[in-house]
Amino acid sequence: MKTREINSYTSNRKTNINYMIFGAVIAILPLLNGFGIIQSSTMTILGTVMFYSIVAMGLTILLGFSGLVSLGTAGFMGLGSYMAAYFTEDMKLPFLLSLLISVLVPVIIGVLVGLVSLRIEGYYLAIATLAVSEIIRRLFDIDKFTHGYSGKNGNYPIIFGLELDKSYTFILITIVLVLIMILSNNFLNAQTGRALLAMKGSEAAAQAMGINLLKYKLTAFGIATLYASLGGVLYNHFVNYTYPDTWNLLLSLNFIGIIIIGGMRSLSGAVLGTFIVFGFPELVLKEIPGIANIDGLQYVMSGVFLIIIILFYPGGAINIFKDIKDTSKKVLQKILKKPQEAEVGS
Amino acid sequence: MDSFLRILFSSLETGSFYALAALGIIIIFRTSVIQNFSIGAIGMFNAFIATYILMEWGVPTWVAAIIAMLVAIIVGIVIDFAIMRPSKKVTRINKEIMTLGLIIIFIGISPMIFGVLPLKFGRFIEGSMKILGIHVDYNTILNISIGIIVMVLFVLFLQKTKCGLAVRVTASNETAARLMGVPSKNITTAAWAVGAALSTLAALMLAPRITVNTAMMNGVQVNALIACVLGGFQTFYGPVIGAYVISLGRNVLIYYLPHLGIEWLDSSWADPILYLLILLFIVIRPNGIIGKKIIKKV
Repeated sequence: MKTREINSYTSNRKTNINYMIFGAVIAILPLLNGFGIIQSSTMTILGTVMFYSIVAMGLTILLGFSGLVSLGTAGFMGLGSYMAAYFTEDMKLPFLLSLLISVLVPVIIGVLVGLVSLRIEGYYLAIATLAVSEIIRRLFDIDKFTHGYSGKNGNYPIIFGLELDKSYTFILITIVLVLIMILSNNFLNAQTGRALLAMKGSEAAAQAMGINLLKYKLTAFGIATLYASLGGVLYNHFVNYTYPDTWNLLLSLNFIGIIIIGGMRSLSGAVLGTFIVFGFPELVLKEIPGIANIDGLQYVMSGVFLIIIILFYPGGAINIFKDIKDTSKKVLQKILKKPQEAEVGS
Repeated sequence: MDSFLRILFSSLETGSFYALAALGIIIIFRTSVIQNFSIGAIGMFNAFIATYILMEWGVPTWVAAIIAMLVAIIVGIVIDFAIMRPSKKVTRINKEIMTLGLIIIFIGISPMIFGVLPLKFGRFIEGSMKILGIHVDYNTILNISIGIIVMVLFVLFLQKTKCGLAVRVTASNETAARLMGVPSKNITTAAWAVGAALSTLAALMLAPRITVNTAMMNGVQVNALIACVLGGFQTFYGPVIGAYVISLGRNVLIYYLPHLGIEWLDSSWADPILYLLILLFIVIRPNGIIGKKIIKKV
């Protein structure tokens, strides 16, 4: 038992270092943009992918690890985004204070939803969260705070008097993303993660083992809404604009789509899935000549692509790398084996 | 009294849109055990087809509607053959996300074929009549009756015919149904076809009130989903009742909220308050209005 724990500790540290390397590579991109190697629009899309990844990771913990469904992700993300816009633009609060409040309020609501999840499950829970999300979304129509359907402007964050521009905001998002990945990785590989997995497997069995369902359901919902609202805050400070209709059911469904495409129980899967859903159509499909010429085909293709991935990789696209590794190993073995067989034959 | 009657007729009309879509969702849910998020998108796509036929061929509205529903049946069958049948190893929630992919495809493909301008689909019949002192459009009466007739036919079909029995058997236990020689695969395909046709009917009945555009069925989709939860997934008629309850509740709130005399409380708060009430109801009765309690075995 002890050796296993040590093993998990070292492998955990290895994963964390991988995350840091991943973050460092991405943080270089603004520099390349400065040299003109990478276009500014590519940066915008990658930034978008990153804060959506944070939100998706919240859902990975909620759905992938705890087995609780939420259709309210978009509502919480929108709430974070609008609150950040209101606090920094209208009330001129400092960025960090505004961040704290605009994350705290959604988390409190999320924990309340967690209480509801003790009584209902499955589709009923999904619809309950959808109802919460729709209620929140209706708040975005109040002109006084949100400017209603003309949308609300945001700004780049100011930290300790230092005004960030787009590139620095990009780096800030990268740092937050890596921190969140390390944090999630650590607690998912510790007691919390095991408790959540046990709860997903069987609630009754988990209870019998002494796992407090109330505590862990509230934790799961709290974390999911924390990540969603954090993603929303970063959205507002990076895109600098928020609009009521952005935060609809389709976006919430997209997040479920992301973690299913990427891999239900993998943090890197969430990032990969987000890239496939939000980055791939813009960055890759648009570059293919036949698709780019026809208006809207790129959008249709992303839908087709989603279905194809689920049909062929039900366990998530993160397995593609494993498959590539396995097949390349096989091919290598074949190549290495062939001359030997020929020798035997002669 | 007048206003109440007006609310009642309006609720029955919108209720039939929700109820038809909810029936489409529930028949697919019961036979293939997946929640179909794309039912609204399918209806929207076929409403575009009906409008196109109406404008290009100059046929009467009802002919266009029937052609669109036939197309919808084909669409449903194609979806089942192309996506649902090959995905045997795919888990339930993954299949549901595939219907999300379908939404993206339909929303993307409609403007490509039919253009981005909003189109107008006319009423089935014009004119109005006086009932109990208020004017009611013939079209409203037609919509209400279509809704009720379809619902009654549906329930009769399920309860009285052999095919209906096959559907019910498949819905209650697919493996057992197959052992008994019920062609459960064909039943599922038929369910997709019927679901698509019902959603198209709902879209075409809704179309004269608004323009035909890619977002036209969003509200119907959300309310139909909530109707299924409110009515419970275990019966076929539960979601229908849920749909009418939601419609009535929504219209009553929209009408009476501004009359309460609270300044900021206008009719745009109807949906949040309705959803909050439904949320409370679900928490108190977790299996919906008609829902039977499912006893979980550990």
